[in-house]
Amino acid sequence: MRRTRYVPEIKKQSFGLNITSMTDMFTILLVFLLQNFAAGEVAIDPVAGVRLPSSNSEKNPVNAVKISISSTELKMDLIKVADVQNNSISAASIDPNDSNFVKPLFDELQKFNKEHEKLAKTGKVLFLADQAIPYGTLRKVMYTASMAGFPNIKFVTTAAGN
Amino acid sequence: MRARKKIKINHNSEFELDLAPLLAVMVKLVPVLLVSSAFVQMMIIETDLPQVVQQAIEEQKKDPKPTSVAVEMSKKTGIKIVITEGEKQTIETVSLNAKQEYDLPNIQAKFQEVKKAHPEVFKIEMNPDADVPYKDVVQVMDEARKSRNNDIKFPIKDQKTGVDTTTLYMFPEVVFGNMMDG
Repeated sequence: MRRTRYVPEIKKQSFGLNITSMTDMFTILLVFLLQNFAAGEVAIDPVAGVRLPSSNSEKNPVNAVKISISSTELKMDLIKVADVQNNSISAASIDPNDSNFVKPLFDELQKFNKEHEKLAKTGKVLFLADQAIPYGTLRKVMYTASMAGFPNIKFVTTAAGN
Repeated sequence: MRARKKIKINHNSEFELDLAPLLAVMVKLVPVLLVSSAFVQMMIIETDLPQVVQQAIEEQKKDPKPTSVAVEMSKKTGIKIVITEGEKQTIETVSLNAKQEYDLPNIQAKFQEVKKAHPEVFKIEMNPDADVPYKDVVQVMDEARKSRNNDIKFPIKDQKTGVDTTTLYMFPEVVFGNMMDG
């Protein structure tokens, strides 16, 4: 007599997944994300290659034209206006008659003046500069911005403790 | 007479709460918040001051011969605070620390001393050297802006009410004096 092979009986049944712990986890995550939710009137996107210095200032950013300077480039909003080499603005972008004047930046700011008259009237500039950039380079940007009608320069920093 | 049927209520019974809809909402909400959250909080350095301090700054501007405080920053020698009162000029210096970095606690203490001597002054003129990194400039501005010690406050007069009060602000108005220099 041949022996029949034992086939285990698999019962088709449903089971209830315990999702309580998962709900707990999501609740904690939700609270954390709600706390970090950007509540300021203006959100500033971090610029690639720019490590902002930290400060204990408690003022939230305002809406203004953004100038950023990293170790490789100088940008106005998202437009690249000049190259940065060895932490200084490339000589090709500097006016030969004025060593502090960054001509392409001035031109872009003038264009901004015409296109966004209302915002330009405030004369405000949000300045996102890498923490290692020397003051000599920053001075050129600030000088050019004030020449273009933007003397109200606001340094963007990260909140102390971030 | 028929006996009334008594409904039995078991007060000790347990039931399972259906958390599935709650979880479904959370699963949708978490990605939305993840996308819109700012994990790095950015701030701007600006003089957003109490009204009393703002009024005092306006008063200082009216002064025909105000006392001026200038801060010279050098990567080699440290900080030099130049106080000019009419013809008289006083210079305070804070050298670099042993690590060749700016001695921030001493700079803060020196600013407190200057502020105590000249409570009417709120503006400083920053003159960093061309090779001073931006980070150091921001740090020194931080030290000058406000007293870190909540017990050290400076006298100020409310111009509207005439009441004497105190503030933690030292030199919140910063001007870059050498910005136009070649």
